[in-house]
Amino acid sequence: MPLLDLGAALALCLKYSTIIFLAGLGGLFCERSGIVNIGLEGLMVTGTVMAAWGAIEFGPVEGLLLGLLAGAVFSLVHAVATVTFRVDHIVSGVVINVVALGLARFLSQLFFGAATQSDSGIPDLPKLDIPLLSNLPWGLGRAFENMSPVVLVAFGLVWPAIWVLRRTRFGLRLRSAGENPEATRTLGVRVAPLRYAGVMISGALAGLAGGFLSIEVNQLYHEGQTQGLGFIALAALILGNWRPIPLMIGALVFGFAQAIPLRLDDFFLWSWLPEQFIRMIPYVVTIVAIAGFVGKVQPPAAAGRAYEGAGGT
Amino acid sequence: MDPRAGDDHGEAGRTGAPFVVLSGITKRFPGIVANDDVNLTLVEGEVHALIGENGAGKSTLMRVLYGLYPPDQGRISVRGEDVRIHSPRDAIALGIGMVHQHFVLVDRFTVTENIILGAEGGPLLDMEAAHAKVAELATRYGFGVRPSALVEGLSVGEEQRVEILKALYRGVDLLILDEPTAVLTPQETDELFANLRTLRDAGKTIVFISHKLDEVLEIADRITVLRRGRVVGEATPSTTSKEKLAEMMVGRPVLFQLEKPDVQIGESVLRVEGLWAAPALRGVDLEVKSGEILGIAGVEGNGQLELAEAVVGLRPAVKGRIALDGADVTTWSVDKRRDAGLAFVPADRHGQGLVLNMSLWENCILGRQDDPGFSRFGLLLIRKIKELAAKLIRLFDVRARSLSAPAASLSGGNQQKLILARELESDPRLLVAAQPTRGLDVGSIEFVWTQLLEQKSEGRAILLLSAELDEIYALSDRILTIYEGRITGEYQPDASPEQLGLAMTGDQRQEEAS
Amino acid sequence: MAAAATSVPARRLPAWAQVALGQALALGLALALAALVGGVIIRLYHESPLDVYATIWRFSTERPSDIGRVLENATPLIYSALAVAVAFKAGMFNIGVEGQYLVGMVTAAAAAVTFDSLPAFALLPLVVLAAMAGSMIWAAIPAVLKVKTGAHEVVTTIMLNGVAISLLAWAILHPLRTTDTGLVDLRTDIFPDAAMFPTIAHTFGLEKQLPESVYLTWLFPLALLACVLVWFLLFRSRLGYEVRAVGSSAGSAQAGGISIGATQIKIFLISGALAGFVGLNQLLGDKGFLGSNYEAGLGFAGITVAFLGRNHPAGIAVAAVLIGMLKRGQDALALETNIPIEILIILQGVLILSVVIAYEIVNRRIARRRQHEIRAEETALEGAG
Repeated sequence: MPLLDLGAALALCLKYSTIIFLAGLGGLFCERSGIVNIGLEGLMVTGTVMAAWGAIEFGPVEGLLLGLLAGAVFSLVHAVATVTFRVDHIVSGVVINVVALGLARFLSQLFFGAATQSDSGIPDLPKLDIPLLSNLPWGLGRAFENMSPVVLVAFGLVWPAIWVLRRTRFGLRLRSAGENPEATRTLGVRVAPLRYAGVMISGALAGLAGGFLSIEVNQLYHEGQTQGLGFIALAALILGNWRPIPLMIGALVFGFAQAIPLRLDDFFLWSWLPEQFIRMIPYVVTIVAIAGFVGKVQPPAAAGRAYEGAGGT
Repeated sequence: MDPRAGDDHGEAGRTGAPFVVLSGITKRFPGIVANDDVNLTLVEGEVHALIGENGAGKSTLMRVLYGLYPPDQGRISVRGEDVRIHSPRDAIALGIGMVHQHFVLVDRFTVTENIILGAEGGPLLDMEAAHAKVAELATRYGFGVRPSALVEGLSVGEEQRVEILKALYRGVDLLILDEPTAVLTPQETDELFANLRTLRDAGKTIVFISHKLDEVLEIADRITVLRRGRVVGEATPSTTSKEKLAEMMVGRPVLFQLEKPDVQIGESVLRVEGLWAAPALRGVDLEVKSGEILGIAGVEGNGQLELAEAVVGLRPAVKGRIALDGADVTTWSVDKRRDAGLAFVPADRHGQGLVLNMSLWENCILGRQDDPGFSRFGLLLIRKIKELAAKLIRLFDVRARSLSAPAASLSGGNQQKLILARELESDPRLLVAAQPTRGLDVGSIEFVWTQLLEQKSEGRAILLLSAELDEIYALSDRILTIYEGRITGEYQPDASPEQLGLAMTGDQRQEEAS
Repeated sequence: MAAAATSVPARRLPAWAQVALGQALALGLALALAALVGGVIIRLYHESPLDVYATIWRFSTERPSDIGRVLENATPLIYSALAVAVAFKAGMFNIGVEGQYLVGMVTAAAAAVTFDSLPAFALLPLVVLAAMAGSMIWAAIPAVLKVKTGAHEVVTTIMLNGVAISLLAWAILHPLRTTDTGLVDLRTDIFPDAAMFPTIAHTFGLEKQLPESVYLTWLFPLALLACVLVWFLLFRSRLGYEVRAVGSSAGSAQAGGISIGATQIKIFLISGALAGFVGLNQLLGDKGFLGSNYEAGLGFAGITVAFLGRNHPAGIAVAAVLIGMLKRGQDALALETNIPIEILIILQGVLILSVVIAYEIVNRRIARRRQHEIRAEETALEGAG
């Protein structure tokens, strides 16, 4: 019954959206400070494996924190490379992704005795039923039963994020570092520490997203479980014009696109479109959006310059 | 711009007490002395104008005061106490603020956000209080800006007011304005002056760096003239005149006396009609004939860049027509214009002239790499190109280690010679030369001038854009002055420097002096 | 007023020599750093770094089959790095090699199974052309979008990578699905022999030295040829000249009459064409079909090889062999030590990062010093106002 599937699909959608949103929010802070970070995927991967181990050793909360921490620490590599040594942002991001894979395999072997996955059944957080929403009709309520608290926390972060950006000194300075670093410097504000902060926030949130994925969603670690969600987060970020609420909406849209093929296989609307093409949707949408809305899509001015690519040698 | 009747030039607020005293300031850069034993006293409650040509040392002096450069010699004292200013932060702490010629504002921020950046007053922003304070400052000094407006929607004049407010918000008592009216319309200039008078009457000190003599006479209480790093004169508006100031600024021209060949001037090669180009070219007509050098004299920033680029094809013409040898080239690509006989020696050697990372010989054919003599079937004919490069380097005496040395390894003079050699080698009909000897040593300048005069005798048409009057005099057959995007006068080379200076710096249109 | 005289500051070494020396120094430092870090990690496993490095070396050079394996590893990396490098010369980032070679494999597979009755001399080139066509189309999309709409090629190529993965999955599941039944893996039909790339062993009768398990095909020498051709393209052709000018100083290139957009599209297409070869060794040398277990990641590996090789064809060839050796070293580590092979991947990352950082530092110092000299000259003569 299609409607029954809708609820399950929505549940899955919320999970994917959480991952995309968390990573995207981290990316938002990073890029608003002027550093492009395409290594969100690699940071997420680091989060998945460290968090899984942490959950097994200590418990789910510790695991999530460990994932967050691991992402932040690993992102320091990107920060040092791009901010201090002014390495090209894209190159550094690629390196992060590549190294993360090797690192994950190494750690997985170390922690779980197998290079590509852990045992299943990692302890996870107790699940909640959201009081009013879980009683929604048409099966939608199912999406709000058995929900991981991380989902709530993640989406709840949108308000503090907006507040930090708009109403704190740090947020103002961070944004100015990304829009016009020269103006920032002329006023005596140092740009480098702000960018370090931005990069590490992206590492932390991407790592947390990874932790959520391995602990709460899959209850295990396995190689490749991130499925490119880190890149989709980038897409959501761009589509959301680097602002928290549009990002959230983008994350929900992409999350839904991820969930659809898994839950609505037999739904008649989708049966004529092969699953693989449905998977392409978020990517195609982003391309169309960027190509079509280039005037409206406005990266932070300094970060945008990094998107323009390096000069040849 | 009518002089304001009744401006008492600061009697109201002037206390006359010395605020900042610069003594014996000397600042050197490799090869030149930018400031040479400069003494300057700035008092409270005045508008003090600092005038001089490009390269006179006005901006350098103020950057020393603002802490951007350390002086090699000399002392600065503020309110009687000797101080050391190591950075803009120190300067601001002492009450000295500066508004640069090129604004540094964050477009996507509001006015208030731009103003409070770096002076937020605490980890949390109280935007309401900040808005209120900005609004209060604005009304107090008569600035009309809305604190919550986004900077990207502001006019240039409004942006400038934001920059000034940035300084006022931090409680500065001395405000340095570097060429503030360079980018303003006359109305905006009037508004600015009204604001400056209010500030002065409230006891602030304004340092007004400018080359625009009319404005200086209108707004300044005292005037200091710099030339070649030295103070050459001081005056007040009541004791001087535009002519006297121009003479002090410009001095006696002509470093070299080169013989101008007597050449038959021929057909019209370049014809420009009603040309407008964003942002600063506002309707220009001119004509250059073969065998003629037309000199466009003007201070940089008055539309020369746009004119040169529009003629070459790097900038689209918003309105108007450009014709080369009779053909309408207004919409032609750069490549097509070059094929039709246009050559370009740019003002920006590095950004528009040479590819620094490439070798000398590779730079020699930039723009001509698709000529049948230099490439066939898509492959470069390296030997031929290197032959050409060797010839050019020999002819123009370009000092370089080897043909394969990167262009970046050449000195400025040699780079310019290379560009000139390359452009002339294409046997052009029209040569557009923008600031061709900027930053060059004496020997290179003489060489370039000789070359240009030689080209003239070969029947080429040369459009010369220069801010150096020496150069204009030495080379031009006719002179047009440009100011704020329009041609303000046409002169023969026997016009006096005062006449040219005035036309270049904002006087009314003059009848043609012959 | 004409400016006063200035003296040209004396320089110690010609600029180009400074640069070359700097690059060599940077590379040396980076290698030393990576070896050091690796040594530390190896010590943690109670092994001797020198022994381990010697083992890796041995595993790559001892027997002809070892060398063969190294070169086999290097082959796709060379093509991938060349693709990245040519785009980079124009100032663009082709992160889409990853997706481009996947699409190339799909089109190649389609050609192989469709025209299976053709003889080898016709089918093989056709398959190769099909691969190039597919990857070029995939590269054309971001290139045209960038020039026409300004869309950042970094983002569009990454997105297209994602699309390519799904496209390949769909291809082997639906149109190209094998007609053989009872299989566990998803794949196309097996390609006819005529579509397979001949191995060097086969051509020279060296089956003893280079056994079946070594897929060293003629794609390798072809890759070296590609290096030479790319060098010619970049440094001896008109297009290469225009590409380098655009990538190095777009303003000067434009003032010289070069069309930036046209140049960018052309070079991106060439980059795409090169990317088409990346998947061919596994497709036509190793497996003989396109299945769900294809080797991915070669696009990103190409980026790292390109940067290791400083975006120069000669450097790329060397760097590709180096990385190929490291890959082979994974087997060495697995068989002879108790060090986990992932260490090598991490070491690779350390190496790349230290190389990139070292190069950036050295280059920026040289550039900055030169700029300072030039600017000081000019500023002085202008007096900065």
